Amino acid sequence: MTEDSFQIFADECEDLLMAAEHALIQLEEIDSVEGVVDAISELFRTFHTVKGAAGLFGLNAIVEFTHSVESVLGKIRERELDVDEKLVSLFLLSRDHLAELVENSVKGNLELDQSLQKVDDQLIEQLNRYLVDTSVNDSDHTNDSSSNTVERVNGGVENESWHISLRFGVNVLKNGMDPISFIGYLGKIGEIRSVTLIDDAIPQWCDFDAENCYLGFEITLYSPDATKEVLEEVFEFVIDDCVVSILPPFSHIDGYIKMINDLPEEDMRLGEILVACGALTSQEKDGILNTQDHISDEITARGEPDVVPPLGVVAVDNMVVGQEVVDAAVKKQENVKQQRSNAQQTIRVNALKLENLVDLVGELVIGSANSQLHASEIENSELKEAMENLLRLVEEVRDTAISLRMVQIGETFNRYKRVVREVSRELGKDIDLIISGAETELDKTIIEKIGDPLMHLIRNAVDHGIESPDVRLKAGKPEKGTVSLDAFHESGSIVIQIRDDGGGLAKDKILKKAIEKGIVAENHQLTDQEIYHLIFEAGFSTADAVSNLSGRGVGMDVVRQNIESLRGHVDIESGIGIGSIMSIRLPLTLAIIDGFQIRVGGDQYIVPLDLVEECIELEASLQSENDGANYINLRGEILPFIKLSEVFGTSIEQCKKHRENIVVVQFAGKKAGFVVDELLGEHQTVIKPLGKIFQNLKGISGATILGSGEVAMIIDVPEMVNRVINFGQNQFSTPRSIH
Amino acid sequence: MSHLQSDGVNEELSSDVVEQYLTFSLGGKVYGLAILNVKEIIGYGDVTEVPMMPDFMSGVIDLRGSVVPVIDLSQRFSGRPTEHTKRTSIIILEVKNEDLSIDIGITVDLVNEVLDINVDQIEPAPALGNQIQTSFISGMAKVNEKLLILLNIENVLSIDELSMVGNF
Repeated sequence: MTEDSFQIFADECEDLLMAAEHALIQLEEIDSVEGVVDAISELFRTFHTVKGAAGLFGLNAIVEFTHSVESVLGKIRERELDVDEKLVSLFLLSRDHLAELVENSVKGNLELDQSLQKVDDQLIEQLNRYLVDTSVNDSDHTNDSSSNTVERVNGGVENESWHISLRFGVNVLKNGMDPISFIGYLGKIGEIRSVTLIDDAIPQWCDFDAENCYLGFEITLYSPDATKEVLEEVFEFVIDDCVVSILPPFSHIDGYIKMINDLPEEDMRLGEILVACGALTSQEKDGILNTQDHISDEITARGEPDVVPPLGVVAVDNMVVGQEVVDAAVKKQENVKQQRSNAQQTIRVNALKLENLVDLVGELVIGSANSQLHASEIENSELKEAMENLLRLVEEVRDTAISLRMVQIGETFNRYKRVVREVSRELGKDIDLIISGAETELDKTIIEKIGDPLMHLIRNAVDHGIESPDVRLKAGKPEKGTVSLDAFHESGSIVIQIRDDGGGLAKDKILKKAIEKGIVAENHQLTDQEIYHLIFEAGFSTADAVSNLSGRGVGMDVVRQNIESLRGHVDIESGIGIGSIMSIRLPLTLAIIDGFQIRVGGDQYIVPLDLVEECIELEASLQSENDGANYINLRGEILPFIKLSEVFGTSIEQCKKHRENIVVVQFAGKKAGFVVDELLGEHQTVIKPLGKIFQNLKGISGATILGSGEVAMIIDVPEMVNRVINFGQNQFSTPRSIH
Repeated sequence: MSHLQSDGVNEELSSDVVEQYLTFSLGGKVYGLAILNVKEIIGYGDVTEVPMMPDFMSGVIDLRGSVVPVIDLSQRFSGRPTEHTKRTSIIILEVKNEDLSIDIGITVDLVNEVLDINVDQIEPAPALGNQIQTSFISGMAKVNEKLLILLNIENVLSIDELSMVGNF
C-alpha cells in the first residue's frame, strides 16, 4: 500500500470515529425508538466503513474488533437489544480503542503490543456478552437472514457457493490497492473454495509495465450468510476501474452467460475455468456455450439492462436476486449521491498548501508596502491612484487568505461533551455542558493548540468547581451543576469562557497553600486577581482536592504556558458559592494583523492596532505634576505608563528633547500607556516568528518586515501592560489605587 | 569480492580526504568554517536591534522574508564589538538544533576565500593558549605556514545557550 492511500485511510478513520463519538453522545438524548434505530444504523454504517477500509489494508486487528462492535450494533438495530448508558460507555471505549488501533497501524505496527491486546481482548469479551444471551445465529449480524438466503431458482446451477469474477483495472496498483488484500478480505466473509488466476491480460514483455495490474481472478466463495451488498462493498474502493461480477449461489444460468459475455477472455477458456473452479458442471458449461447467443439477445429484449446499477456491476443478478437487493443497491446509490453533494460544499486542502498561500500573501503585503514607499516618493498622481487600488486589493486578498484558515470552534467544543459526561459520572455528579458561540471562527493552528488546555480547564471545573449534589442542595442550588463554554469576539481578540456555577475559588485556601509552598511571601499584599493566578504557578496544587482526575500530566502551569505560547492570556473571576469564570483571550490569527507603527530611539516597533485605544501627547505639565512618577491623569482616570526607551535600553543620546507621545493600550480591561518617540501610523503587519533563540525574550512577541526591508519588533502588549502595572505597584505602597 | 574492493578504495581515499573551508578575518586573526555550514554571504547592513538582548546579539535582518538573527562574533569571542567597515560581512550559517536547522548570521571583518584543506593538515585544538574558548575550536590547520583556527559552529552558536539569554 502506498503511503498516500494509507494517509487517506487514517484521515478517513479519524473523521468517521469523530462522527461516531458525536453520534454516541447524542444517542442518550434521543427519545423516540425510531430515532435510536436511525442513529444506530448510522453508527453501524460508520463502523462498517472503518471495517471495510481496514480490511483492504489487511489490518486484521481492526477488522476483527470492528466486527464485534458491529455485531452488537446490528443487534440493537434489529431491536433485540436495548441501548443503555453502560452500553453507550462501552461503545465509547470501543471507539477510543479503535482510534488507538488505527494510530497503531499508521505507525506501521501490524501487531498489537501487549497493553493494546489486553484492552482489545477485554472489550471484545464485554461486547460478546451482549451477543451471547439473545442470539441464536450470531454469525449473521448484518442482515435479516430471510433477505439473503437466495432461493434456489428454477434453471439455477448446482453451485452452493458465490461466484466472484474479478478483473482489476490497470491502474489498481498505481492507486495503492493490492489485489491480494481483497481476496484476503473475502476470506473473512466466507470460506474461499477456489481461486483461479486469470493472467491472459499480461501483454508481451516488451509492452509490460511493472506498475500496471493485468490480473484477474475467478473466486468461489462459500458463505451462506453473506449478502450481495456485503460482497459488493468489498470492492467499493476499486469499483470504478474494475470489472466485478458477483453471482449468488444457485444463480440462474443466464447470469453465467452474461458474465462470460462481459469478460474479455475467450468464451471457451472461461467456460473451462468455471468448471475447473467448481462454479459450473461441464454439462452446464456446454449448455451455456451453445445457447449463449440466443439468450443474450433475449436479455436485451427484456429490457433488463435498464436496471443496471451505474456502478457497473452485474446486471444479470437482478433477474435472480430478490427485490430487496435491488432496493438496497438503489438506496446505496442515493447515499453515495448525497455524500457527493456534501463534498462539493467543502474541499479538503492540504494544510501545507494553505500555509504556503498565507505565507505568500504575507510576502505580497510586504512587497506592496515596499512599492508604495517608492511610489510615494514619485510625484505622479496616476501611479499613486494605481497604487491605492492595488493596496486595497492586496488587503482583500489578505483577509480572504486568512479567512481560509479560520475554522469554527464548535467541533472542538463538542469534544468536551464527552469529557464532561464521563468525568461527572465518575465523580457521581450531574453536570450539564452548555455550549454557545460554537460558530465563532478562529485560526486552525490556534484551535489545534488550545484543545488540551481547554480540556484541562473543563476537567478542573467539573472536578474542583462543581460541588457534589448533596453539597449543592444544602447550599440551595439546583442539584444539577452547569458548566458553560462560550466563545465570542472582543476588540480584536477571541475570548473563550469556561463558566461553572460551583463553589468558586477559595482565596484563603489558595493563599495559604501558596505561602506554604513558598510561592509568595507571608505578608505580601495581593489583589484577588493575583491570588487566583497563583493556581497557574508551577508546583501549585490544592492538595485536599486531588483526585484521580487531576494531575493527568498537564498541570495548570502548563495550561498557562500553552496559552501564552499562542500569545493568549487567562483571566479568572470567581465568587464564593457563585462559581468561577475562566476567560482565555487569544489573538484571532497568528499570521497577519493590523499594526500601529511607532518609533522608540532609532528603531521602529509595532503595536497590534486592535489593542490601541488612543494616542495622546505627553505634555510637560502632565508629567511634572506627578514628580516623575509613572502615571498620569487621563480624563479623571489613573493611567500608569512606561517609557519604552527605558525598558528597551535605547541609548539616551537618541532621545533628544522633542514632544513625546503616549500610546494608550488596553488589554483584558486593563489600560496602560507606552511613551514613544514618534507615532508612524498604521502598518499591515505580517508576523514573522523570531525563532528559537529568542524564545525567552519577554515583551516582544515577534517581528515583521517593513516596506523598507527593515525588521521591526512587535510589542507583546499583554506582557507589557502587566509590567507597567507591576512597575507601578512596586513604586507605591497602595497598589490597589492603580486599578 | 566487491566488498573487499570497496574497502581498498576507502583506504586509499582516507589519506587524501580534502575538506573545504571558508576563511574569514576577525580582529586580525584568520578563522575557517566548514563550507557545508555556510548558506550565503551578504554585506553588512540594515540590522535591527532586538531590545533586552545581550551585546553579542547584534539584532535581526530580513533575509528574503525570514527574520534571521545576527551575532557579533567578536563580541562573543572577546567582548569587543566589531568595527563596521565597508568590508564587514554577514555569513549566514545553517546550524542544527535537534531536528531543526536554524539560520544564523555572524558578522566578520572580511571574508577571504575557500580553501581545500587536507584532513592530515588538521590538528586538534590546543587546550591552552587561546583567546577564545576551546570548545569553540574544532581544530587548527597550517596553511601556507600560517595557522588557521577552524571553528566548531555548533558550539559557537549553540542554540540552547543563546536562547538562555533574554530572560530578565
